[in-house]
Amino acid sequence: MIRIAFDIGGTFTDFVLEDTRTGKRHFGKLPSTPSEPARGVLEGLGEILQRTGVPAGDVTTLLHATTVATNAVLERKGAKTALITTKGFRDILIIGRQKRYETYDLYLDKPQPLVRRRDIFELAERVHYDGRVESKAQAKEIDALLNEIHERGYESLAVSLLHAYADPSHERLIGERAAAVNGSLSISLSSDVSAKFREYERTSTAVANAYIKPLVGKYVRALEKSLAARGVNADLFLMQSNGGLVSPELAAENPIRIVESGPAAGVLMCAEVGREEGFDHVLTFDMGGTTAKLGAIDHGVPAIVPTFEVDQVRYRKGSGLPLNIAAIELLEIGAGGGSIGTTDMGLIKVGPESSGAEPGPICYGRGGTRPTVTDANLVLGYLDSKSFNGGAMPLDLSGATAGVAKHIGEPLGLEPAEAAWGIYTIANTNMERAMRIVSVERGRDPRKYTMVAFGGAGPLHACRLARAIGIPKVIVPHGAGVGSAIGLLEANSKLDQSITRVLRLAPGVENSAAEIYADLERRVQRDLDRLRSQAKPVWSRFAYMRYAGQGHEIRVDLPDGALDATFADEATKRFQEAYAQVYGYRDRGAGIEIVDWYLAATLPNTVTSGREKPALPDKAGTAKRGERKAYFPEKRGFVDCAVYDRYALARGEVIEGPAIIEERESTVLVLPGDSASVSEHGNLVIMVGDDDEGA
Amino acid sequence: MTKARENLSPITLSVLWNSFISVADEMGTTLRHTAFSEAVREAEDFSTGVFDRTGRLIAQGNFTPGHLGAMPFVVKNVLKFFPEGTLRPGDGVLLNDSALGSGHFPDCFLVTPVFIGEELIGYVVNTAHHVDMGGAAPGSQKVQGVTEAYQEGVRILPVRLVRNGEFDEDILRLILGNIRVPDLVSGDLSAQRNANFIGAQRLVKLYKEYGRAQIDTAVETIFEKSEMRMRDLIRKIPDGVYSFQDQLDDCGPGDGIVTVAVDITVKDDDITADFSRSSDQVGVAINSYLSYTRAYTLFAVKVFADALLPQNDGAIRPIKATAREGSFFNPRFPAASGGRAALQIRIFDVINGALSQAMPDRAMGAFSHWSNPNIGGIDDRTGKPFIFYDLILGGYGGRSNKDGAEALSPVMNCANIPVEVHETNSPIVVRRFELLADSSGPGRYRGGCAIRKDVELQTSSAVMTLLSDRHGSAGFGLFGGGAGTIAETILNPDGEAIHMTSKEVRTLKNGDVVSFRLNGAGGYGSPTERSVAAIENDLADGYITADFAKQVYGAKRS
Repeated sequence: MIRIAFDIGGTFTDFVLEDTRTGKRHFGKLPSTPSEPARGVLEGLGEILQRTGVPAGDVTTLLHATTVATNAVLERKGAKTALITTKGFRDILIIGRQKRYETYDLYLDKPQPLVRRRDIFELAERVHYDGRVESKAQAKEIDALLNEIHERGYESLAVSLLHAYADPSHERLIGERAAAVNGSLSISLSSDVSAKFREYERTSTAVANAYIKPLVGKYVRALEKSLAARGVNADLFLMQSNGGLVSPELAAENPIRIVESGPAAGVLMCAEVGREEGFDHVLTFDMGGTTAKLGAIDHGVPAIVPTFEVDQVRYRKGSGLPLNIAAIELLEIGAGGGSIGTTDMGLIKVGPESSGAEPGPICYGRGGTRPTVTDANLVLGYLDSKSFNGGAMPLDLSGATAGVAKHIGEPLGLEPAEAAWGIYTIANTNMERAMRIVSVERGRDPRKYTMVAFGGAGPLHACRLARAIGIPKVIVPHGAGVGSAIGLLEANSKLDQSITRVLRLAPGVENSAAEIYADLERRVQRDLDRLRSQAKPVWSRFAYMRYAGQGHEIRVDLPDGALDATFADEATKRFQEAYAQVYGYRDRGAGIEIVDWYLAATLPNTVTSGREKPALPDKAGTAKRGERKAYFPEKRGFVDCAVYDRYALARGEVIEGPAIIEERESTVLVLPGDSASVSEHGNLVIMVGDDDEGA
Repeated sequence: MTKARENLSPITLSVLWNSFISVADEMGTTLRHTAFSEAVREAEDFSTGVFDRTGRLIAQGNFTPGHLGAMPFVVKNVLKFFPEGTLRPGDGVLLNDSALGSGHFPDCFLVTPVFIGEELIGYVVNTAHHVDMGGAAPGSQKVQGVTEAYQEGVRILPVRLVRNGEFDEDILRLILGNIRVPDLVSGDLSAQRNANFIGAQRLVKLYKEYGRAQIDTAVETIFEKSEMRMRDLIRKIPDGVYSFQDQLDDCGPGDGIVTVAVDITVKDDDITADFSRSSDQVGVAINSYLSYTRAYTLFAVKVFADALLPQNDGAIRPIKATAREGSFFNPRFPAASGGRAALQIRIFDVINGALSQAMPDRAMGAFSHWSNPNIGGIDDRTGKPFIFYDLILGGYGGRSNKDGAEALSPVMNCANIPVEVHETNSPIVVRRFELLADSSGPGRYRGGCAIRKDVELQTSSAVMTLLSDRHGSAGFGLFGGGAGTIAETILNPDGEAIHMTSKEVRTLKNGDVVSFRLNGAGGYGSPTERSVAAIENDLADGYITADFAKQVYGAKRS
């Protein structure tokens, strides 16, 4: 079988072609084509097929992660969308949750909704929290609204009625009437998209789904058509934010689930690397050009969160549009290679402002004038002006040094090297803060975790970051430059459904639980049928629970098997364990509620048997390419530092820090006191020294 | 002032400054995650701080601004009761006295000294708004009929509640015995203790890593630089005395309107807000102790000067808040103060009005004043007590370059509680929750709209306590901008339509509907300067009606 994975990112589209008979993989990278995303895919596909000599007809599977849904939201380029709400509640979307994301800024603005107030229509009807219908929706009134919506030229309709998670019948009636009155109108019902309580978040999710649905549908159909025209008749799968794959048909129906697909695949790659090396507790660290993304894998499984925010301002929580979608947990902050260093009040600040891809850091020589993290890495000797990007892109060291000196060194009275060290260190403290949130503050003990570092800048900063947090091991995977695309090859198909039903854990609750799960299973099964897969699903149940009286819920895995009289006790026990894990204590006396119920079905990826072990040189001791001066404050400044070629390192070869290990897409910095070795799978495993004498 | 120390590397300084702020933030996360009360969790009505050995604020977490000025005052008072040398490692001191800095009893401060061995290195402090502290009514915030602090609940002068990291069970029992919901309060006190424990741990690690000498230098440098920056910013405000006057509704009833007047003196690099011309203290529970007046003065000045300037002892040195003793904004103990949360918006409004004369580009029209009702009784469905606590939040005043934000939390930074959550937890049904057309103050940049929320009681009986304002005066506009509509709270709007006062206490019966209608926020600049496109957009979106457009913006423009 031939499988091809392609991940469209903001700047590059990454490709991997895998021959499952030999385990052999080929990699490719091309600039993305944002104005016409499918074109970039087809070009890349043509290139990799030509290079490998594989006939188009031999490709059996295509795996795809795309930013097409996200970009439609960010650029406000979705469909003309209408929203129907319960009468009296027209402004749910405009009111939102009302908290400002910056306490002291009263000149800020709220996230701009995807529809305007004029696009919102009210329907007389009322359902209560327990599903009781107080006043019935009238078909005649619905038809009148739908006619108006049709006449005003809307392409897509979102429906979000109060308590529709408890009784969706009114929303469904609107869906049925819409199909009858205006067949071309795209429909998104909140009870289908997100059957959970909290009306603003549910409405926001339904509206976002409606907004991108026509566009994603078109994209998927166009892609399938052009693939067929090229003679590729493979099964196409798309990556969702939850780290699972779905068919194009399901992705087009619920496009909101694919908004964060590329980064999710990157975390899957880390999980696979952890498996290879025998670590199932992993903190993931992906540092690219503009941001760093931090995530976690517990017991071998990427952590999933129930909500995601799109279109944030300065990565501040609450500044974007909330989406109720299961998403792989990732904390994103404005710290990347392009983040700009400045001074204020005699202090050094780094980011969130970034030089982006254009003009980029000063050292790229493309017109950048303000010093960035990448410039600092060059001045400190961690990067080399001649070997960057495999030598394809010479860097301007004197320009970087002058820029660092002018903007940081002179105002603060620091030598250029010290100033560069300042930029590097402050970028690290920003990431340290984020990593503390992902680890310590969420109940994860860093000493029990291993960091997997990737992205262009990740391996340059990983060992310092690990030291600051107390993470004992860092792994820099083999072939991490196309991490997300590799992650796609490891992905399973995965479907999940959820519903809000607030129930107290008490004897007898198992009957309600059984009903809820029967309903959820019907929903998941309906989607499974459309995946047309032969694989047997693995079911998992989990829920979001709290002590009665609290307002936030934590995730708890629920028992499999029959829902009998032992359910309440078992769920109680599991909740208390999870609570103690996060907060350090439990409260035995307090009542416990289940709020959101989840069911997930995973179709195991039977094709992959893990990554191929890369071909590495047999002979150790040939990788050293020379030495260069690099800056280590614990060594009181610049010292001679050995430089190695990663591709020339043999299995089992050990390198003591300080050392620099260069590969095409990134550079690994091994600190004094650290020790790096090449594993059986070609990954670099770095034991982090506890030598703690920083600046 | 001495020059910033030369021998401390700017890199170390930057790292330490970030670290202090991150210690305060991490304390806050711990507190929020483990707290039970809605005020802490949803409204983030809590605060965390790191102090040096002498009780000066080094860093504050980015949570509610309400305790900004209060926390340093509390720490100074705790140190009067427990001078250096009297507290031991593992101790923690609790305080909630309004006059000693809390401002009202529900805010409990926990002050924990931090030691390395026997050496005191500083204090970590947090404060949280507790759901109940006993007294005349659930929530300890009842305004009408409460005439002195002794009726407002249990009053805690600084006491050593924590010893060796554990609660003193005797003192805890004494406190909890006075409280309606002891389990919740005890849970939240534990959350406060946990937060300080985390903060102390991180502070110790920081001191061990960098050493006392370097940290002492860094702390002094942080104060000097922050003070210098704040003074530079104040120097940009033209010297002068800027006065503004507004009012609060009669909160008695029958006590009369409360005058809220401020005179702000800017002289070179100092700024003083004097509230002395305001009314005398009142005989109901809504007086603003000076620490509270100061907290929101600091907030307002910071908003005008530099929203993102870090908060510490240095940054607040140039800002003073004063008021005549015995006045509404500096009452004498035992003045009652439970409902003072209603004042923060007006403190900001008048400072904004005064400073608009000096800094028109940073000013805005008056806010829509929130409504913070409590409805409590027995839920017939369960036979158990319930409290429906709501935060109804309207729009911002028009700003110098754009309209006021719609439906956003003013001053204190809270989230609302979703309709579906309220209806699940309490025997109430929300009948409407919407913006009101034609309510905003017109202007070149209009104010945000008023909000209407109608709530129906679905249990046999309950007592409602209102905490709102602007029922007797409109939210002003600036520079020719118009005022918004006046607020109303109406019982059974489709029936008897009884207009209630903004601090009313009333018993409700099954089926009663209370219609909360906030005031519209004020406009900025003359309505004649509003662009035709903006008026057309407002019409298309239903923020204004055609009649209103004609009347306010002129026929030819509508």
